[in-house]
Amino acid sequence: MKMFSISHKTAFVVDHCPYMAESCRQQVEFDMLTKNRPQGVIPLAPVSKSLWTCAVECSMEYCRILYDIYPTRKLVNFIVSDSEFHILNSWNQADQSTQELMAALAAVGPPNPHEDPECCSILHGLMAAVESLCKITEYQHEARTTLMDKADRVSNRGRIICITNAKSDTHVRMLEDYVQETIQEQNKLAISSDRLMQIQQCELVLIHTYPFGEETLVSDRPKKEEEQHANTSANYDVELLHHRDAHMEFIKSGDLHPAGSTSRDSGLKETVTLKWCTPRTNSVELHFCTGAYRISPVDVNSRPSSCLTNFLLNGRSVLLEQPRKSGSKVISHMLSSHGGEIFLHVLNCTRSTLEDPPSISEGCGGRVTDYRITDFGEFMRENRLTPFPDVQGSEVAGKVPLERAKRQLERHTRYWPMIISQTTIFNMQAVVPLASLIVKESLTEEDVLTCQKTIYNLVDMERKNDPLPISTVGTRGKGPKRDEQYRIMWNELETLVRTHMGSSERHQRVLDCVLACRSKPPEEEDRKKRGRKREDREDKGEKNGKDSESERSWQESERLKAALERDREELAEAEVIKDSPDSPEPLNKKPRLEVEDVQPAEKAKGPVSLLTMWTNRINTANSRKHQEFAGRVNSVNNKAELYQHLKDENGMDPHENGKAMR
Amino acid sequence: LVSRPPAMPTVVLMDVSLSMTRPVQLDGTEEFQRKNLAVHGLTMLFEHMATNYRLEFTALVAFSSLWELMVPFTRDYNTLQEALNNLEDYDKTCLEPALQGVSNIVQQEWGSTCPCQVVLVTDGSLGIGRGSLRHSLSTIKHRSEDKKFPLPFPFPAKLYIMCIANAEELQNSDTLDNLEQLLSLNGGEGQIFTVEGPLKLIDQAYTPFHAVLRCGNLSSDVQVFPRPEPVIMDEEVDPAPRTILTDLEIVGFIEIGDISSPPVLSRHLVLPIAVNKDVDEMGTGTTDETEEENSANQMAGKSPNFCVLLHGSLKVEGMVALVQLGPEWYGMLYSQADSKKKSNLMMSLFEPGPEPLPWLGKVSQLGPTSDAKENPYGEDDSKSPFPLQPKSKRSYAQNVTVWIKPSGLQTDVQKILRNARKLPEKTQTFYKELNRLRKAALAFGFWDLLKGVADLLERECTLLPDTAHPDAAFQLSHAAQQLKLASTGDSQYAAFDHNITPMLTDFSGSGSSDRDRM
Repeated sequence: MKMFSISHKTAFVVDHCPYMAESCRQQVEFDMLTKNRPQGVIPLAPVSKSLWTCAVECSMEYCRILYDIYPTRKLVNFIVSDSEFHILNSWNQADQSTQELMAALAAVGPPNPHEDPECCSILHGLMAAVESLCKITEYQHEARTTLMDKADRVSNRGRIICITNAKSDTHVRMLEDYVQETIQEQNKLAISSDRLMQIQQCELVLIHTYPFGEETLVSDRPKKEEEQHANTSANYDVELLHHRDAHMEFIKSGDLHPAGSTSRDSGLKETVTLKWCTPRTNSVELHFCTGAYRISPVDVNSRPSSCLTNFLLNGRSVLLEQPRKSGSKVISHMLSSHGGEIFLHVLNCTRSTLEDPPSISEGCGGRVTDYRITDFGEFMRENRLTPFPDVQGSEVAGKVPLERAKRQLERHTRYWPMIISQTTIFNMQAVVPLASLIVKESLTEEDVLTCQKTIYNLVDMERKNDPLPISTVGTRGKGPKRDEQYRIMWNELETLVRTHMGSSERHQRVLDCVLACRSKPPEEEDRKKRGRKREDREDKGEKNGKDSESERSWQESERLKAALERDREELAEAEVIKDSPDSPEPLNKKPRLEVEDVQPAEKAKGPVSLLTMWTNRINTANSRKHQEFAGRVNSVNNKAELYQHLKDENGMDPHENGKAMR
Repeated sequence: LVSRPPAMPTVVLMDVSLSMTRPVQLDGTEEFQRKNLAVHGLTMLFEHMATNYRLEFTALVAFSSLWELMVPFTRDYNTLQEALNNLEDYDKTCLEPALQGVSNIVQQEWGSTCPCQVVLVTDGSLGIGRGSLRHSLSTIKHRSEDKKFPLPFPFPAKLYIMCIANAEELQNSDTLDNLEQLLSLNGGEGQIFTVEGPLKLIDQAYTPFHAVLRCGNLSSDVQVFPRPEPVIMDEEVDPAPRTILTDLEIVGFIEIGDISSPPVLSRHLVLPIAVNKDVDEMGTGTTDETEEENSANQMAGKSPNFCVLLHGSLKVEGMVALVQLGPEWYGMLYSQADSKKKSNLMMSLFEPGPEPLPWLGKVSQLGPTSDAKENPYGEDDSKSPFPLQPKSKRSYAQNVTVWIKPSGLQTDVQKILRNARKLPEKTQTFYKELNRLRKAALAFGFWDLLKGVADLLERECTLLPDTAHPDAAFQLSHAAQQLKLASTGDSQYAAFDHNITPMLTDFSGSGSSDRDRM
């Protein structure tokens, strides 16, 4: 288990004793001569940093790089030691920021050179560091909670980086022994606490600081990273730090080791030089990328560095090429930023085992040419994902966003013909409003109205005998007759709406409307021509035995129909074939003259589905066997209000005053 | 970080030493040369692959005391078969150089990250004395760096050993011990088979991966090629191999620009397959069957398939489909075109985990856009909710102060000076830079610098030309005085969060143009 490796916790212990106030004796010129400087001005004396300043700068630089490359899960606890210890932050992720640490360090200030050196010691800080390493982090706590019975598998390891002035080898050994002893003591205490963990492993890094010695500090860098140069076209290098895995292929291939080098253990050369290469790439290209690692520039504020990072932060990408043993070059990496973070992408540069596969058109379904590509594209856009904030307890309510996305996909695909010649309704612009609404989880009243309008519009088209985009694929001759076309169209629309009837009562109402409006059997067609009034009367007579609900909705729709008459006049010509050039030609361009044509016997089965006919028959039969329940007779949309008499007696709504009733 | 699941080319390493011509007696059958049995077994393997793994690359290497690449990596199983039938007999068995040869061939062709299967076919007599496997293994610990034993291979490899010998023969020698040692050198990846080997090998290593790809109620039967191998996450508390589901469910769609070249473990072709197509397990297809299969293929070609629809729309729209591979494991489907403009439906596997890509956030928190209060893509598709912004900015995206190199400090001082000379126009920038320096100097305990810069500003004040704006002198001496106060460490003036503000003078209004730009 590597989840909590040594680098999960790093305790910095910086010596704040009086001798750290000493100058490092490295002078920094800060009054540089500039071009437009008047003659004869003597530059100011250079300043020199104290050992303390050097130590703080270097530990801050360590944190800067650490937080750039590992923004989470690699934690720092900063401790300062003088006559006592000062803990500047906690292991909490929220405390992990250089800004916070800088503020805390400013409050500590430089060491006081006049303090009694006898009272001051680095040991205070080391003890605090060991205690701190025993403290459980948020991540460890979370892991222990999730693992429950296996909680003991969560390990507790860490590193102490101590910046001090070691007086002698004996002094160093004393510090090591002290840390060792303190760990043993603290581990005993940790056994009996929930908030403490025993330290299983601790790496102690002692950094000795002394005047004249700048190198020891500056060269200290996180061990896990290595450096990499990006040589820009203008001949300057940008050195970047990142996780070493980004060069795995390079290391394994042996390209890192020049010919003749024998020892692999002598330490990897830590810097790989990659060259900025000219082919630009764009974000719409999907590269085959085997890893992506955050980077941090070594010299963050240098001109070349900020040039490169700004270029990347502005959304552009840089391809990098790598020299090979053979002398050839290969594009091996890509620098690119995502959300203000720069990543080094590792590109696959070996031969692919997937080369030259057969095209998808050679496989199953590859010969089909009229897929609804545009429609499915539209479907994909509607089903794009978007991030939602992580709210506690959302799992319980069944509102995990991804689960909702899956549910939406399920609803949207309940009826989804894949090819143009398999569908009529999805080739009709007139159906679009209904088709896009019916898949919704819930409908508003307005949605229902729009669906109904769509349906009436179709009724109107049928009345006018408008042509439909019915496929002729696989049929000989002119294809089906006009009324047969409408029968097919209504069947399909019913199928679509029926798949959603269970979603809500409003979905059901849309289905009711379809069932009520869809074209009547052929014999009715004739009657229709003889006048709507009579048809209505006959219709009522025919349906006499049926429940009042469907009757009501029929009447309702008739009423709406009249109201919408004018709108429809305009809509009628909006009929367009929507999708691909492969769509069949609209049929029967010449007006049909043989209206009186007698229908073949089978077609007389009419537009009502077998299920509907059967259900109607059963309902009729059943309704004759008993007297209808009074509630159902008086119901509105199959819902009857109870205790209506109470309302009459009290003149108030019983729901609102339930208690008063008793 | 992760054991990578592979695309899996195969190297067949065939023993052509003289001992392979020894007869083997199987119950109730006539005598065969071991070589004949080996060729027969490999023929079965090649036929199986030609039927089920047409896209797999295979190479044939023959070895005795020397080794030779008979057929480089190819998908042409006829060539492989032909070479197999025409193998000649040579001298003795020297396995080590042959394995080294395999290692070189694979690395040259596929690099060191592509996993491979090595099928070693031998009679189990692995040589005597120098050059024998026993000798190689006994000296393994005393090698110099450049003469290292070729195992473990530098690439992930499964070593399958087909040993053409019966159990009795193996029991009477140390062959099995040596071969097992070879396997353990390869990290235990692989298996040893005896005479019945080929069938088991086919079962073990060359079963095609079939799955159902779903998008709501739309679905298609597919073969995923190459076969996705189990993945082990080292970072988990309880690492167990994870295998992708045979029910691959699309959870939604994302623009290519938003998913932005994500790192993946492996790539696979997603090939639609016809249902109810009985694939002959042994692949011993006669001509008739092949014709039948062809016509079946033609039929399948003509019935609509969801993969083809999905591929077409992904290609046209420049999008990918996010697909769930298992619990907290996701991948993406997209259209991939090769140089010849042939294109295909591909699936890439992300690293297992709840948040494989930082710029998408937790995958379980991705939901339908219709749930959002307003369309995150904008009404005209001009916006995108991706990439997700991290909580804190990285050092290169904010104005950090680093003075480890003198140049860093010098640049910052110069910036202040440059602005000082353009007072009062640059009042705001001057104070902004001044405060940045002040904060860093306080944090680093670098009070001497504060004094130094104060001196510098005072000197600048004396050098102001007569034409300078009177406000410049006021601001410079005010700033210098404030820095001096801070350098005392007096808590009243040296507070980190305190900012030096411009001195209010009668002329202050003149800096407004600069202020507007800030």
